[in-house]
Amino acid sequence: MADIVRWYILFANYEQGMALHDLLDRHEIKNRIAPTPRAIQGELSCGISLLIEERELDAARKCIEENHAPHHSIVPLAGQLKSHRDKYC
Amino acid sequence: MSDYVQMWKDLGMDLETHDLLCQVLPTAVGDVFLTQENRPKAMDFWDLVISEVHGIRPAELVKAQAEGRKVFGTFCVYVPDEVVIAANGIVTGLCGGSQFWVPGGEAVLPKSTCPLIKASVGARLGKTCPFFRIADIYVGETTCDGKKKAYEILGEDVPMYVMDVPQMKRPEDIVRWKGEIAAFAKKVEEVTGNTITPEKLAEAIKIINARRKAMKRVYDCRKSECLPISGRDVLLMTQISFFDDPVRCAQMCNRLADELEQRIKDGVSVVPKGTKRILVTGTPLAVPNWKLHNIIETSGAAVVCEEMCTGTRYFENLVDESGTTLDEQFMALSERYMKTNCACFTPNTGRIDDILRMIKEYKVDGVIDCNLKFCCLYDTEKYAVTRALKEAGVHVLSLETDYTDTDAEQLRTRIGAFVEMLNG
Repeated sequence: MADIVRWYILFANYEQGMALHDLLDRHEIKNRIAPTPRAIQGELSCGISLLIEERELDAARKCIEENHAPHHSIVPLAGQLKSHRDKYC
Repeated sequence: MSDYVQMWKDLGMDLETHDLLCQVLPTAVGDVFLTQENRPKAMDFWDLVISEVHGIRPAELVKAQAEGRKVFGTFCVYVPDEVVIAANGIVTGLCGGSQFWVPGGEAVLPKSTCPLIKASVGARLGKTCPFFRIADIYVGETTCDGKKKAYEILGEDVPMYVMDVPQMKRPEDIVRWKGEIAAFAKKVEEVTGNTITPEKLAEAIKIINARRKAMKRVYDCRKSECLPISGRDVLLMTQISFFDDPVRCAQMCNRLADELEQRIKDGVSVVPKGTKRILVTGTPLAVPNWKLHNIIETSGAAVVCEEMCTGTRYFENLVDESGTTLDEQFMALSERYMKTNCACFTPNTGRIDDILRMIKEYKVDGVIDCNLKFCCLYDTEKYAVTRALKEAGVHVLSLETDYTDTDAEQLRTRIGAFVEMLNG
């Protein structure tokens, strides 16, 4: 079975991330604060990202655009959340 | 978390090795916490903190130090935070919960030392944790032989102060612990340059009592048959409370408790009705040790209580706030802290009483008694704990583990069978 693709909104700093988190919450667009997976972090300077499901993607993009919400990018990533992976740190 | 690179450089950290740790954390956080559905909204705060765990709070501590405040790193719930706060100091927990740090500890300690001690020493000597770099002084205690010897090694690298915890709970031992607290207060005054007055200590006692009350509110919600929060989420809250600002911690825990109380009223549970309720007892689960809770809660059960230092031992029992002299306040602190039932005491029947009480309070279906490998004290107490639980007709599973992933499958098999047995 193919891995589920989820979308991560990336930021330059956590203040931007928290501001968008609040904005999306106000618009009832489901999003969760997540540590940014290294695979997509690149040289960005922020540890947090906002995790959204594919079904919320269009609403999130619209909300960001209408509110000129600062963010870096929105990136898809597959296979990130596996409760039985048993890889701890 | 590269935003904090300059801070980490200034702290003398090994950036290259630390980066390896930063790479694995997001996967573990995602797997353990973000796979859960219907989490309380108030968990946002702890999701933020864990996402920036080596950034936001360390930066706050560094800023406070620049303003002249001192940071005390501690390893045990017996060290009284109140004394440090009364001198305008800051407390941060330092127990290492990651396998990442264990090899560094094994470089100077016997392999047959518990992983918590090895990880703590490895985090300091390997220069891969900002909290271990920031603390101006470490405060140890004599709760086990492994820690005592490890503190000698750490003391060669960082200022170290060790409190001598009594091994029994006779009236004279409570008086002796009061003396240890008074001596610690003198050390805190020396390090901070601030005098501890009865007024300041009274205020500090209120601050820490408020944190205890707030955490207890969250735990009380877990007593409901309608379980409004997972064990994993409460564990994260508890782990982070050890290094967060205590006033903010109380605020956030109260905010979470408000939501949980509402969830109970609304009948919102994170698990299906009939899910078996587990009490976990034993050695502490220092951040980021989430293995046991994750395996239990992805095996069809829910953790509803932790009788451990990263659990009820941290917040149960309040300090009497009526003292008006330092002498009275030190005694009140001693009386409260000596109620904590650690396996370093003999006898330690109070722990069994606690477990039996919590089984009723939290409506527990089964107990998992788990200790870290090479923790002789808790391993030995398994005999008396298991016997008492069997006499009470409570199902118990005894486990031993460490910080590696290698026993995860075996744990899944044993825990899965235990849950299946509970389900009848």
